[in-house]
This record gives sequence, structure tokens and C-alpha cells, in this order.
Amino acid sequence: MSLIEIDNLKKNYVNDEVVTHVLHNINFKINEGEFVAIMGPSGSGKSTLMHILSFLDRPTSGVYKFEGKDIKDFDDDYLAKLRNEKVGFVFQSFNLLARTTVLDNVKLPLVYSKIKDLDSLAEKALESVGLSHRLNYFTNQISGGEKQRVAIARALVNNPAVIFADEPTGNLDSKSGNTVMYILQKLNNEGHTIILVTHETDTANHAKRIIKIKDGEIISDEKITKRTIAEEDKDLIK
Amino acid sequence: MNSKALTQSIKALSANPVRTFLTTLGIMIGIATVITVLSAGAGFRSLINDEIKSLGSDTLFIKTRVPPTIKNRASTLTPGIAVGITTFVQRDLDDIKKLNNVTNDYGMVTGMAIAGYRDNQKNTIYFGSSAERFSIDQHTLKEGRFYTQAEDTGAAQVAILGSNIAKNLFVQDDPLGKLVHLGNLNFLVIGVYDVQGSVGGQGADDSIYVPLGTAQKKMLGVNYITVAVVQLKNTNLADATAAQIALTLEQNHNITNPEKNDFIIMTQAQVLDIYNTIFNGITILLIAIASISLIVGGVGIMNIMYVVVTERTAEIGLKKSVGATNSDILKEFLIESILVTVLGGVIGILLGTLLSWLVAVVATANGLTWTFTVPLYAIIIAVGVSAAIGISFGVLPARSAAKLDPIEALRYE
Repeated sequence: MSLIEIDNLKKNYVNDEVVTHVLHNINFKINEGEFVAIMGPSGSGKSTLMHILSFLDRPTSGVYKFEGKDIKDFDDDYLAKLRNEKVGFVFQSFNLLARTTVLDNVKLPLVYSKIKDLDSLAEKALESVGLSHRLNYFTNQISGGEKQRVAIARALVNNPAVIFADEPTGNLDSKSGNTVMYILQKLNNEGHTIILVTHETDTANHAKRIIKIKDGEIISDEKITKRTIAEEDKDLIK
Repeated sequence: MNSKALTQSIKALSANPVRTFLTTLGIMIGIATVITVLSAGAGFRSLINDEIKSLGSDTLFIKTRVPPTIKNRASTLTPGIAVGITTFVQRDLDDIKKLNNVTNDYGMVTGMAIAGYRDNQKNTIYFGSSAERFSIDQHTLKEGRFYTQAEDTGAAQVAILGSNIAKNLFVQDDPLGKLVHLGNLNFLVIGVYDVQGSVGGQGADDSIYVPLGTAQKKMLGVNYITVAVVQLKNTNLADATAAQIALTLEQNHNITNPEKNDFIIMTQAQVLDIYNTIFNGITILLIAIASISLIVGGVGIMNIMYVVVTERTAEIGLKKSVGATNSDILKEFLIESILVTVLGGVIGILLGTLLSWLVAVVATANGLTWTFTVPLYAIIIAVGVSAAIGISFGVLPARSAAKLDPIEALRYE
């Protein structure tokens, strides 16, 4: 059983009675432990696909099975529960809460769960991205690279089945970007499934498999033969 | 989950304390006004109750009135002292005193005259009442003595002064044993009252008290009385006794139709009722005015909450993406607006209590026996109203936050 199974998926938007076909005839499977890059130019539909895969949106038609269950059968509250328990997000613009500490930011997903021991889980997640020394800093007191690592810790804290990274290096300099990719690869090595959405080939090459999308259709789906392995940066990771 | 939502709301509020304070200002002022109005109302009410009780807590009042005819129907509505009714006399009082439930009574006439001592002149109300007054009326003298039965029947020219008129006429001098002019007569001052306060503007402290006989024979040239006070053995039987008194007076005055009575009898409960009715009216009016500021405050909160929702769109999107349901978001914003209003309510209660205390201080400084109380029901009303405002004005912004599309919200800059 695959973690994710997409069968003939379509997504249309209707705006003033004009129908836009964003995605059509999408088919693929993603297994546990994979590191997949969904790649395509802007407007290709890759973000829409990620939104559907991460339960933020629903397909217009076709089947999306997650852990063998068709999400069509779930209501919005259950999708929220899936996002809470099964999914972690890393966004291009970090999306951290302002005027809030690093620790509180990482705790946020747990606030909406039944989990009680928020602090120790959040501290553990921050340790794994090398930010144990920044727990009580406010998010405006840390650098861009550190912000994205906080976001990764937040994506990790609920021990999700899959981590979605939407252009995670887009707002970072190459050194910080490298660190982020290093952490994602490390997490993948530890068994986390990672889906990376990007338009940059260099970034996509850090994955193990690339699904290329253009105009709402998959144009290629293949393993990466010459994978880029991010170097550990001794200055950033302890 | 609820305590987590509460924590989220508290964090959101404490992140911007100045705005939180300003948001809640309208509610604060409204609640403070409500508390002050209710507290001052309670203080004033107890003042009046005390005053009326000090007239003798077990008394009935009889006043003459012009019997209503078709022409002067309006006069039934004015409980003032009727002019021209000469039928109410000492004999009536003697008969009333014979009734079972009556211990004592006294009659009274009033008039106005210029009172003077040396160069000080003052237009004054004087009360002529029989010596029984002092066994019923509970007000005490600051100095001197009451006049006696003999002085009353002998129409002695002796007077007791209210505290204000004593001060106004005699300034530094001790009035006791001095002569005061009242109309064309000289009166020997034999006593000065303690401060009485004023019930319904009668100005007890500004009046002069002389024997009934003196006022009737030497000043007014009449033999009737206009007001009588009757002391009862058992106040529970006040209504029955009032009926007996009415019967007695009807017989004495040859009245067959009770609608044409030339007197009205008021029990103390009725007097209190009249005052309480007036106070309730005034209190409701003031609370209505205060609630306008509560509504304005509520609209202010709704306004700010809409701004807050827009401002935190990205945050709402993020929270939804990490698993917050619509009702989680609704709860957070609703709790936030309730917290803001209840915070305003609590500060308003403190502020209102302070204002009520100041009112009490000023009232006491002006010689009123004012008890400072903040009634429990006022606090309950204040907290309840502010929570209700928080919910009712917070629900629309909170719903608009809950309904945001997470994808749109995440993109919001």
C-alpha cells in the first residue's frame, strides 16, 4: 500500500462562469520514505497539487487515497485533523508568528492536537534542527536561515507521515538554503517522507525522484540519477 | 483544548497591550457608569429610607386635600397641602387617638415668614406642631430642649431652629436663649436641631419649629391643621388602621361619598413607594444612557476585531494548515473578544467603585448620612453585560475569521 495514491485527478476553478483547468489526468503513487520533488514553472499547477496532497484543497474529480483511504469520504474537520497529525509544512516565506518565541511557534501544531507534553516535543524538534540555543528568542530576532529551520522544526513536531516543503529555499541565500536542504535530506534518511515543491532544478536535484508538471499535466516522472547531497555546514549545525 | 484556546487568546491580547486597552475603553466607561449609577442609587435610596424612618418608622400621614370635582380633577394628582380646607381640627386627632392601633398623633400647620436676628433676615418656612411631635419624630437636638404641652396650649412664643437656619441667622453666636423675629413676633430660641438632611426638598434644616397653638392663634389666626402624623402600635395593621381613620374623619366631616374626602392618608409604605417609584424611573433612565455607551463600546470592539482578523489573516491560514478547525479559530477569536470586554468590565467595576466612593465622600462632606455600597447585583449585571457584549459583537468577526480559505489566507501578505 502506497502512502499516497493519485488516480486520474482533476482540478478546475470556476471564476465568473469561466472554467480554468488547473490540473488534469494526474496519476502517481508515493511510498513511505520517498523524497519527491514536484517541479514546474509558475502557473503549472504544482502549488494546487501540493494543496490537494496536503488536504488544504479537494480535487474536482479523480481519486486521492491517503494511507489507502479515499479522502472524498472525509469532512473538513477530519481533513484538519489529518493536517494536524499526518502533515508538516515548510513555506517559502516561513510563516512564523510575529511577537512570539521560537518555542511557541514550534508548539503551534500541538496546540490543536490532543497531545499534552508540548514543551518537550517542541524542544526535541528544535534540537534536531540545531536551534536549542534559540528557544526563547522572538522570531524577529533570528536570521532568515534560522527562521526556516524553526519552520522545519514546526513541521516535525507532530511526527508527521509526510513533510511538504513549498519552495523552502526561495527566500534564502545559498548558504542557508544549503543548510535547509541538508536538514531535509537528513530527515529523509531518518525515514520521513518529503515532498518538495520547487521551480529550481538545483533544489529539485536534492530529492530522489522528480515529477515534472507543465500546464497541469505530468510531463515526466523519474528517479534522479545524479542526486545532489547537501554538505553539512559546521557553523550552523552543531 | 479550551485552555489551549484561552492561552492563544491571552497571548494575542498581551502582544498588543495598548490596543487591547483602547479597545476596551468604551466598555470600561459604560460599565463604570452603570456601577456608579447603581451604587449611587442604592446610597440615595438608603438615605431616603433612613430619613423617612427617622420621621418615626411606625407612622401614617394625613394631609388635607381639596375634594376632586369635575372642574379640579387635577388636584387629586397633587399631594401638596390643600388651601381652604378648614375641617381638619384637633377633635379629629383626639378621635383618631382613641383607635385601637394608635399610640399617639400630632397635628401641624405650616407657613412662611421672614425670620430675623439682628441684621440677618431670611424668608423661612415654619412648622407649628403640638408637643406630641417629639415623642414620635426621632430627630435629636444639638442643644436646648423641646417645648412642652403647656407651652403649646399656652401659645408660648418659643422656637426650635433647624441647623441651617440657626447657622444663617446667628453665624457665630449661640442661638440658645436669644430672641428671633418670626413674622411680627419675637420667639425665644429654646433648642437647635441636629442636621436632619432633607427629604424631598422640604428643607427641614432651614425651617423653624414652634408650638401648634402659637402658630394657629398668633400667626395664622386659624383653628384647623393641614397635616397630621399618626403613630401606630402595629405597623402590619397600617392599612386597616388607615381605613378606620378614614371612617372617623368621614363621620366627623359629614362625608358620605369617600371619593369626596377632604383628606388623604398615606402609610409609610406608600410614601416609600412613591420615592422608590421615582428612583426606579431615574435609575432606569440613567442605565439606558449608560447602555448607549456600552453599545458604542461593543461596536468599537467589533470594529477592532475585524481589523485584527484582517491583520492576522496569514496567521489564521497558518493555524488552519497545521490543523486548526473552523471552530478552533472561531473559539480563539470569540474568547479574545470576550476577554477584552470582561477585562473592560473588571476595570470598569473598579473605576465605578472609585467614583461611587467619591460620591459617598462628597455626600458625607455635605452632611448627608450616606452609606457607600456597591451592590452585588450591580457587579453581576456589569460582568454579565460585558460578557454578552463580547459574545454578540465578537461573533461576526470571529466567524469571518473561521470561514477564511486557508490557501488564500496563507498567501495573504
